[in-house]
Amino acid sequence: MTTLELKNIRKQFTNGGASEDILKGISLSLQKGEVTALTGTSGSGKSTLLTIAAGLQLPSSGDILFEENRMSALSAEARRNIRATQFGFVFQSAHLVPFLTVEEQLLLMLDTAESTLGKSERTQKAARLLQLVGLEHRRHAYPASLSGGEKQRAAIARAVIHEPKVLFADEPTASLDSSRSRDVMKLLLDLTRELQIATLLVTHDEEMLNYTDRVIHMSDGAMARANSLIQ
Amino acid sequence: MNLGWKEMKRNKGRFLIVGSIVFLISFMTLMISGLANGLSKDNAGLIQAMPDGQFYLNEDAKENYLLSTIDEGSEKGTAFSIQMGSLFDPNGKQQGVAFLTASPSAVFPAVQKGDVLLDRSLAKEGIQIGDSLTNNGLSGTLRVAGFVDDSKFSHAPVAFIHSADYEDMFQTNDRQILFSMNSAAEQLDGLQTFSKNEFLQTIESYKAEQLSLTMIISFLVIISGLLFGIFFYMMNMQKIGLYGILKAMGVSSRTLLRMIWTQMAVVTGTALLLSILASQLFNQLVPQEVPFHLSAANTLWLSGVFFIIGFLGASLSGVQIKKAEPLKAIQQGEN
Ligand SMILES: Nc1ncnc2c1ncn2[C@@H]1O[C@H](COP(=O)(O)OP(=O)(O)O)[C@@H](O)[C@H]1O
Ligand SMILES: [Mg+2]
Repeated sequence: MTTLELKNIRKQFTNGGASEDILKGISLSLQKGEVTALTGTSGSGKSTLLTIAAGLQLPSSGDILFEENRMSALSAEARRNIRATQFGFVFQSAHLVPFLTVEEQLLLMLDTAESTLGKSERTQKAARLLQLVGLEHRRHAYPASLSGGEKQRAAIARAVIHEPKVLFADEPTASLDSSRSRDVMKLLLDLTRELQIATLLVTHDEEMLNYTDRVIHMSDGAMARANSLIQ
Repeated sequence: MNLGWKEMKRNKGRFLIVGSIVFLISFMTLMISGLANGLSKDNAGLIQAMPDGQFYLNEDAKENYLLSTIDEGSEKGTAFSIQMGSLFDPNGKQQGVAFLTASPSAVFPAVQKGDVLLDRSLAKEGIQIGDSLTNNGLSGTLRVAGFVDDSKFSHAPVAFIHSADYEDMFQTNDRQILFSMNSAAEQLDGLQTFSKNEFLQTIESYKAEQLSLTMIISFLVIISGLLFGIFFYMMNMQKIGLYGILKAMGVSSRTLLRMIWTQMAVVTGTALLLSILASQLFNQLVPQEVPFHLSAANTLWLSGVFFIIGFLGASLSGVQIKKAEPLKAIQQGEN
């Protein structure tokens, strides 16, 4: 089932008078419960495509359909609301809030998503998720005392606590060593399946593609080829 | 979740520094304001304590009461004169005073010929009721009949004397100033009208003194405003990346604004409360001789100004929040 659909996305940037085509007409769809990977060399436009899909910037032309909504037709506030309630984000750096404990990072996301859960249900939910990502013993730790892998797992827990429909992950393993990277990828795939999320993952690490359902190779702003690993 | 509060609990040191600065500046401003009021009272307490009304000077006096002449018997109000001079106490010690005589009225205390009423500050100099005081220009002596409160003029205690003694001392039958308790100014022939405040401004020493102090207070308020603004700005500058990330996640600008407003309110509120307490404590403990007077109204007014400045400083950072780019923040930064 398609959750998010991109139709013929183009993006131009003007750099010092010269306009450059960064995305040259890209179409793809994200399916519920599947990890779709975007891969390709640095500068091929992966992050630009991801942020456009997430409504963080608008395409020069083309449509983004999230469920029934055309993203480009929505107000900035409506897009923010969709990001808060329906989307989750994981970045290359964990980007945790430095003055919140691991548990509070998750509770903040529930606040942001205007969760209807009561106070004790929220803490229970956070506890369950922290157990799932193996951080229950670090519940009250601040980001400064976490290792890189722990930070990234906390960031993933934060990105899914409100049960988003779409998860955007831009190079989530780029700052981790390969064994921690595999753990993070397994976690992302498990969560995608369990919570039936449509996940868009950007990575340039070929090994990580083993943990994805479909791979889209990008080259110079265009789709070079797309393979489906599951049929 | 109250983000502002959480951050303050986690980064106590940083907020303590900002709070200390707000405290020090507001405390200093309150102290100088207290000094300004104290000096103003010391300089013109006599005039300030007079009932509301109009002051009249002769038009030819060019707004200088010393050069003004008013007919003693004017029926439009109280005619009075003030002259600086001195009295010798029974031990031969000279005391600077401001001699004042007035036509009989309820505005100033009545004095018998040969008597003098003194400002209470002279009681501290050892002068007692019944003492005989002398003056070089006066043929007889003046007997101290009593003391009155809040009667200072040009930083000197006022000596209320009878018109006959005044005329003997200063060789004039004229008065300088006419005072009427009418709230509306009357157009009197050859006379110029002054409100109480306008009249105070004609006293050169008072005007100069208050002008300097008002300038100092204004500068302090302006400088503190800039400092508050800069501090909140810098604190928020460091967090611009975090704001971007939170905005990407869907946190609204309103939530972030509320966060910095909470912080501003707690920091400024606590600091102001402490500086009000400290300045009121000083107000209580300060020796009588120090011209210091900090009224509740003045304290509240200055605190209000500081709070508004803090609020504006914090709101200025709201612009930074608005400008915080989720995209930029995602692509850079590490924590
Ligand atoms: N805001 C922007 N303005 C101008 N050029 C940009 C902007 N954002 C990205 N680009 C350019 O678009 C290209 C693709 O960038 P990006 O999507 O980050 O690539 P990738 O994530 O695949 O490494 C790069 O050449 C980059 O310089
Ligand atoms: Mg990228």
